[in-house]
Amino acid sequence: MDYDALAAELRKLRENVAGVTDTVLAASDGIPILTDVAKNVEPAHISALAAADLGIARQAAEVIGLGKLNQTVVFGSNGYMAVYAVSRTALMVVLGDNGLNLGRLLHESRPAIERIGSIMAPTAPSTE
Amino acid sequence: MRVAGNAGGLFHLRDGAVIAVDSAGSPGVEVLLLGSVRVSAEDWNAALVESVETGSLQAALIARGHLGPDEIQAVALAAMQDGAFAVAAGDVERCVVEDDTEEPLLPSAEGVAPEVLLADTADRLDAIASLPVPLSPYRDRVVAARGAEPSSAERREIIAHATGRRSARDVAFAIGRSLHSVTVEVSRMLDEGLLEIAPPATAFSFSHWGLPSLRPRTETGQTSGKELHWTTTPWPPNCGSFEKTSPE
Repeated sequence: MDYDALAAELRKLRENVAGVTDTVLAASDGIPILTDVAKNVEPAHISALAAADLGIARQAAEVIGLGKLNQTVVFGSNGYMAVYAVSRTALMVVLGDNGLNLGRLLHESRPAIERIGSIMAPTAPSTE
Repeated sequence: MRVAGNAGGLFHLRDGAVIAVDSAGSPGVEVLLLGSVRVSAEDWNAALVESVETGSLQAALIARGHLGPDEIQAVALAAMQDGAFAVAAGDVERCVVEDDTEEPLLPSAEGVAPEVLLADTADRLDAIASLPVPLSPYRDRVVAARGAEPSSAERREIIAHATGRRSARDVAFAIGRSLHSVTVEVSRMLDEGLLEIAPPATAFSFSHWGLPSLRPRTETGQTSGKELHWTTTPWPPNCGSFEKTSPE
């Protein structure tokens, strides 16, 4: 897997969206792939929580008929955790402080996820 | 008027005057008031709930007895000026005038004429440009220098939050003070050797767990039943060795 290309994407996201504090790419079963986090953030925990969070959000979107899931966001008084599906097999977590502009994050995330998905794709051919 | 960009922002206008500026680049009234310790999070939340019915957060805050109208207006004005500075100090992609936007939380009662706000913002940008160490409040991430002994509580607070991953903007949010004042202080501290610009390896700490691919490990014969193992990483993954990868 081209970790440098993935790192460049995560770096760009943190540089281009004020308020993004940490980013994590993980497999959709919650195993971390690449992380850029502060010392007080445990990537394994965040990845596992995000995988569960994304699963529930996907299920909710499907059951309620909301269409394709774009993002699921946890709002706290001190910040945010946004989770995106990268493909069927991976996810991206973005942590932000309370100044984060969620609209801007979604706007910047979409093309980033497309690129991250294609960076991951060559080494992850469909097996089904 | 919405300014798209990083940090970008939203200028609220009424009768030709700017009454509030919200930006992702500068702490808003909530962060400033909570950071000043004059208002507790409980009081703030209670006032917010109350204001949904009455329509005035200022009245709800005054009713709780901790702040007077003058103090609230001073914070509203400071947040507006800092918001305009935050928008101007960042990248501006485009501006769109929107007719129907949400009311600001705590508007300035009288507002400020756009040309006055513009001149004030230009002064603040000039002040940043003429600092001993010119500093981008968004791009430059700062870290405490070895053996730094800050002289004031304010500087100690900045040092404590200068992890190397945070920019002046991030520190301003973390300590609940205005972007402009924190940027000026950080620049002075860089000049005095208390802080340093963090190298890329500190500002971005990428780690990967050696995941070879997302392909299921069916070929290894270790799978059981219908389970799919997406990784060869030992669990928990942070117990195994991991490599650092360059942020570039």
